Amino acid sequence: MTVTDSVTTGAPGTGDLRRPGAARPAPRRRPRSTAGTAAALWLLAPGGLLTVAVIVVPFTVAIIMSLLDLDQYSFRQWLSAPFIGLGNYAEALTRTGLLHAVWVSGSAAVIATLLALPVGVAAALTTHLPFRGRAVVRSLYLIPYVLPAFVVGIIWRIILQPDGVANHGLAQLGVDGGLWLNGPKSYLALILVQVWSSWPLIYLLALSGLQGIEGSLHEAAALDGAEWAAKLRYVVLPLLRGPISLALIISLLHMFNSFTLPFVMFGVPAPQDVEVLPVLTYVESFQNLRFGLSAAMAVISLVLILVPLLVYLRTVKLDTEEASA
Amino acid sequence: MRVLRTIVAATLVATVGVPLSACGSDSAADGPKTINMLVGANAIYSTEQQKWFADVSAKFEKLAGAKVNFETFASPTDELTKIQTSMLSGQGPDIYSLGTTFTPTAYSTGAFVNLTADDWNKIGGRDRFLPATLGISGPDAEHEVGIPFASRPFVMAYNKELLAAAGIDKPADSWDGLLQQAKKLTKDGRYGMAVGYGDTFDPWKFVWAMSLQAGNPLVEDGKARLTDPTTVKAYQTYLGWLTTDKVVDPAATGWKNAQALAAFGAGKAAFMPMVSATSRVNLDKSAVAGKYGYALMPTIPPGATSLPAGAVGATSILSGDNLVIAKYSKNKDLALRLVNMLTSAESQEAYYKTFGEMPTNAELANKLATDPALSTFVESSSKAHGTPFNGGWSKVQLALVNVVVQLVPDLAAGKVDAKKLDALLAKAQSDAQAALDKAK
Repeated sequence: MTVTDSVTTGAPGTGDLRRPGAARPAPRRRPRSTAGTAAALWLLAPGGLLTVAVIVVPFTVAIIMSLLDLDQYSFRQWLSAPFIGLGNYAEALTRTGLLHAVWVSGSAAVIATLLALPVGVAAALTTHLPFRGRAVVRSLYLIPYVLPAFVVGIIWRIILQPDGVANHGLAQLGVDGGLWLNGPKSYLALILVQVWSSWPLIYLLALSGLQGIEGSLHEAAALDGAEWAAKLRYVVLPLLRGPISLALIISLLHMFNSFTLPFVMFGVPAPQDVEVLPVLTYVESFQNLRFGLSAAMAVISLVLILVPLLVYLRTVKLDTEEASA
Repeated sequence: MRVLRTIVAATLVATVGVPLSACGSDSAADGPKTINMLVGANAIYSTEQQKWFADVSAKFEKLAGAKVNFETFASPTDELTKIQTSMLSGQGPDIYSLGTTFTPTAYSTGAFVNLTADDWNKIGGRDRFLPATLGISGPDAEHEVGIPFASRPFVMAYNKELLAAAGIDKPADSWDGLLQQAKKLTKDGRYGMAVGYGDTFDPWKFVWAMSLQAGNPLVEDGKARLTDPTTVKAYQTYLGWLTTDKVVDPAATGWKNAQALAAFGAGKAAFMPMVSATSRVNLDKSAVAGKYGYALMPTIPPGATSLPAGAVGATSILSGDNLVIAKYSKNKDLALRLVNMLTSAESQEAYYKTFGEMPTNAELANKLATDPALSTFVESSSKAHGTPFNGGWSKVQLALVNVVVQLVPDLAAGKVDAKKLDALLAKAQSDAQAALDKAK
């Protein structure tokens, strides 16, 4: 399958060409011994076990915990902690900063992703064609991405502190920087740092998309007399839509879930403007020891994450169906 | 349910508690007995700590025929994770060294041995300890889990040269007096006080101390008193140093404690309240080395000239480490013997000499009190008071800090709005009360 396939299938309406009447050919039962089937199932067992251990068990535990009044008083006999049904969910939604935190996390993730997009694509375009020193530039571009989140957090906390480099720089321009790590501007700081640390992901995927475009397409466009701007507009960018959508979704989920960066930059208790959902969940669990309440928050956050994730999975599924059709 | 519980505990232990279960099982093995103890990793003196571990183990083997296996945690989260996995799986360290303010929370889990009179006898009796250090061992003398091990009282550092130049013979014993001195000392680009408003550990300690000194312990009989006039006054005083009195560098809105200490060390501030003995390490390497001293923090509340009737003149929160013994431990007697050894005057002296931590052992503390360099710390340790002993205290503490965190932008703007302070305090009060209502 080439990149072209994935792009065309990604377009709305073109995904499913099957009509209800024209069903797939009826599955034919192949002559196969039952022993063979059993062996095949055994081969699936490691994957199945792994799924149970890695996904099913923790998820079940989280759901059970979220239904219990589980705190430091009941933790030792946690399964006999009082069952309070949806009490934790109700409390999370009405008596904690959950909705505000969802808004902060979600809006910051969307804005930061949209800001990182042009930066990432531009970076990919600049390193697409060979030139002397391209490898060095490509490596430099990846630095923000390979740095651990806590290092990024510490670096930016130092840069943005009241008498830090950022404010000294701004003072040179005659601007009073003020507080970046608390107050309304902390929200801008969070977005800025998220963009800084996440554009390389978009860059990487966009670059891989660019490299996947066949040379013949460029030639054809050139033969048709397209200038670079037209080529970019009508050939390159449409073909990048697949990889870029993927990058956007991954980046969005990553930022929505980002704990370390805001935790290190702003600490706890977090300033109101940057109280993100993962930090709130952490505080309820590890500072207030309300394990049940924080499990409910974790489940809510999982549901929220599932929305873009399902959109993504659906896109991928359409691709594979189309490919196998 | 039991099967599920076992599976979950096994999963938890397998994922987070591998090192724990590995050492936990040692004690059940044949051969020389081993006792396990969990302590915080000492980042400043890590080599010395390793040596101390070896020394203690060797000494205990000679004394009781059992080795001591030390395990360290690097952060409070790390500590909490280990406690939780041990509690769930019923195996892990026999003895834990916990921060004093965490003791109420640990007590409320019911996972640690409630010390009987007999148990106290086995560790040398309650009289062995500086009485104040027992203040946060349990809700009352009959229900105690924490055995005082190390004391880290807070005091106030002051710049002797600057005070002498301004004709001030000694630091004031009231907060108002301190403010007057600080105003006098704020000149020539220097400030009266260094305070880390951006720190998330200290702000509540000021508010708690001033409130208590005015007769409000913040939590009484399960009721939070965070909107009490004494607490409002405490916040106004603490925040006012920067906004209205201007005795603190405006940049302090973004300072953590370390930055405030650095400013004091550079000679840019005359006082730095709320420092522990660990500040000596930094200050002795700073520009004020040899020119600074320590004094008790004021004990007369803001707006008063003497301690009000019925109020408590606390010099510090009761800060330090407590030892607790896990209920699941199969080596309780051995654990008590080890605790007895660790809290003896001899062991505490070795510990003090290695790490600079003040002792909880009364005999040794009285001996050290004659040393002028240490007398302030010993005195503060004996006049320190425990924070309210309640399982919901961690939330109260967080709510108190949150008020300051949310006011930092106002601090930076130079004016704290009284209505905003009231609104934040009302929120803190309801959060704190909710946590106290859940406390059992």
